[in-house]
Amino acid sequence: MITMPRFNILLAGVGGQGLLTLGALIGNAAIEKGMDVTIAETHGLSQRGGSLVVHVRLGEGASPLIPKGGADVIIGLEALETGRYMVFANRDTRVFMNEFLWPPPLAKAPRLNDLIKEISKRAKLYTINANELALQETGLVVTANTIMLGFAIAVDEKLSELIDIKTVDKVIEKTFRGKAKELNKKALWRGYREGQARVR
Amino acid sequence: MPKGSKVLLLGNEAIARGAIEAGIGFAASYPGTPSTEIVEALSEVAKEIGLYVEWSTNEKVAFEAAYAAALAGVKSIVTMKHVGVNVAADILMSSGYAGTNSGFVVVSADDPGQHSSQNEQDNRWYGLLAHIPVVEPWSPRSAYKLVKAAFELSEKYKHPVIFRSTTRISHTRQPITYESDMVKPKVKGVFDRNIERYVLIPAHGRKLKRIMMDKWNRISEEEDREPFIEVLNPGCKRAIIASGIAFAHVMEALDYLGKKEDFTVLRVSLPVPLPKKPVINLGKDVKEILVVEELDPIVEMQVKKIFHENGIDTLVYGKEFVPINGELDLETVYKAIKAFLGENPDETPWNPVSPLELEPPIPPRPPVLCPGCPHRSTFYIIKVSANKAGLRNPIFTGDIGCYTLGFQKPFRTQETSFEMGGSIGVAHGLSKTVEEPVIAVIGDSTFYHAGIPGSINAIYNKGHFIILVLDNYYTAMTGHQPHPGTGVTAVGEPTKRIPIEDILKAIGFDTYVINPMNVKESIEKVVKAFKEFKEGRYVAIVSRMKCALQAVRKARKMGVKLPVYGINPDKCTGCLSCINLLACPAIVVPEGEKKPRILGELCAGCGLCASVCPFNAIEVVRKGDPEWIKAWM
Repeated sequence: MITMPRFNILLAGVGGQGLLTLGALIGNAAIEKGMDVTIAETHGLSQRGGSLVVHVRLGEGASPLIPKGGADVIIGLEALETGRYMVFANRDTRVFMNEFLWPPPLAKAPRLNDLIKEISKRAKLYTINANELALQETGLVVTANTIMLGFAIAVDEKLSELIDIKTVDKVIEKTFRGKAKELNKKALWRGYREGQARVR
Repeated sequence: MPKGSKVLLLGNEAIARGAIEAGIGFAASYPGTPSTEIVEALSEVAKEIGLYVEWSTNEKVAFEAAYAAALAGVKSIVTMKHVGVNVAADILMSSGYAGTNSGFVVVSADDPGQHSSQNEQDNRWYGLLAHIPVVEPWSPRSAYKLVKAAFELSEKYKHPVIFRSTTRISHTRQPITYESDMVKPKVKGVFDRNIERYVLIPAHGRKLKRIMMDKWNRISEEEDREPFIEVLNPGCKRAIIASGIAFAHVMEALDYLGKKEDFTVLRVSLPVPLPKKPVINLGKDVKEILVVEELDPIVEMQVKKIFHENGIDTLVYGKEFVPINGELDLETVYKAIKAFLGENPDETPWNPVSPLELEPPIPPRPPVLCPGCPHRSTFYIIKVSANKAGLRNPIFTGDIGCYTLGFQKPFRTQETSFEMGGSIGVAHGLSKTVEEPVIAVIGDSTFYHAGIPGSINAIYNKGHFIILVLDNYYTAMTGHQPHPGTGVTAVGEPTKRIPIEDILKAIGFDTYVINPMNVKESIEKVVKAFKEFKEGRYVAIVSRMKCALQAVRKARKMGVKLPVYGINPDKCTGCLSCINLLACPAIVVPEGEKKPRILGELCAGCGLCASVCPFNAIEVVRKGDPEWIKAWM
């Protein structure tokens, strides 16, 4: 149980990558664990393929936005967006990034390797190719979101103390139906196994 | 879910649940971010509990309908985004005069920081303007409770109440424990005729104004209690008055500062009219006060007035330290309190890492038209046709919707965007004053909302410009709510479709309907239309094709695969026409390569890129299932 300060998880990506679903998963897991939580989402115009960020704050309190430099964990579903929101990281932040760079139309973008180099200089960075793993495991790129969550939980001790993998599994069981339930579970555990292999 | 359940609710869903528990029987709205999910949530349970719910054609109509229900004794709610209140402002002003007979709550979802709006107006002003109290929550959970209190307040004074949410409340999730079950509402009432109260001729209005001002004064004298106002940690020398979501930021900031014991905090959830007694008492107790509130100094202003009238000389600060622009957050409020204490505001407990050093830097990623979006085809068709028809240098007046994104390169087919329906009135004014041809570009829902009077005005006053209506069957930007052209109501019941071309024809336009998926045929039609326009005729074009997101969704539901296009590298010369003309997010140039590639998992199979490629290098790489075109219909 945490009271103060709150534990801050920033989710970054592109509209349509399943960030809101990911936020709700963590939120429902928090309820299972008897924790208070706020999840600040972005709706409307910015969902149309725009840059998207979701602030998840675990613990008592209602102020929904993470201060700059205040993220404990960043989960990035896309590399440019992870880089963009590094302003929320401090030296101790653990950054979990999907090795997927999706340049906006008509724009020049930095290279994935340069992003990886720059982020690792500033915080603890863990990357996997969640899109590829998602295609292998479920055939659906959009399940990269659950893969990233499983991965982060396996690697990050503090995060898994608050939200453990079994609780997330239980939440998927409760909140998803039919095929989506099965695929998200597969994705979650695949990400978890990848993470375990990483810390071993 | 029954009483006692703990559910992760979006602020808007919390407002909906609270309203149901309060016993509403009638709900109306026009969708608008960040307000939309309130009535969406209500429409999901409407049939189950027997609640009446509608998407009205605009906020004014929604307000009138919900207000009438409350006059007939049926508790009602009307919800809209902050700028929607401008559209409903006429009836809002009158509703204060005539009052209500049953609980009537107007939800204004404001957008500090302008996440999805043309301005960040602070709608607490409307409370002062209309003499209608404003209730303001500080979190989704408090919104759930306070919306019920707002209905009680409205019932007690037989007066409308404005419930002001903001983006960070409406679109934040929080666990909420249900205090009651959903109730079967009262949905039928009686209209007691009362001409002196309901016909606002000047003689009646003058009498009603006195009644309204009496209620107004009573509210500021009597409602000095929880849940509207609360004093925390009384007896300190310094105090913070925090209104709405600022309260949440203040409490956490004081925690971080380790100064929770050093401040008395007055939590305000009724900022308008500000209850007098607790403010006077606080002023007598403390030496100085910082008022923390988002946007305009509504509470600060009233505190100063109350102090002045009561001879209290306690120092009151506010906007000296708290920004007037943009939304507040923990960090901003932490810094404001530090500055108020005379400390260095830049010393914070948070140490962000240094900015990434990248070349090129991370490019901005503004929202874009989705892959397969019919607006993209329409914009392309219109520009090509204007060239072909010799319609030189047209000015595109624009409107509010996904298609506003057409302001971006490569389209530039939105050169103004002020408010709902504005494209047509602005086009009219320009057509009277400039040399260039003018094309008003407006969406379907926006046309029904506020485009029709402007269209009538154009013909009546001989405004010579082209109207282009983009019809994708839904109010798409806010999440595909049905509208009068969809053929279903908010609760999914079939209803009569009102085709836009029928309206335009009836007004007097030569109206052309195109299908933007058929690029060649559409260009022919539009060229003809533009030539007729040049000959002096009144021309309107309706471009109709279903929103791509809905088509993709329907294909998934039907279990059919849409076609997927790919770029044949042997034919592609890397000219990048596809990207430069269309800016489709599914077409990318991979790192280190010169020729573009189509991301198959994003391609919606519209085929527009194939029809613009000068080298015929874009081909179907995966055929759609035989029935695929039905997904788009």
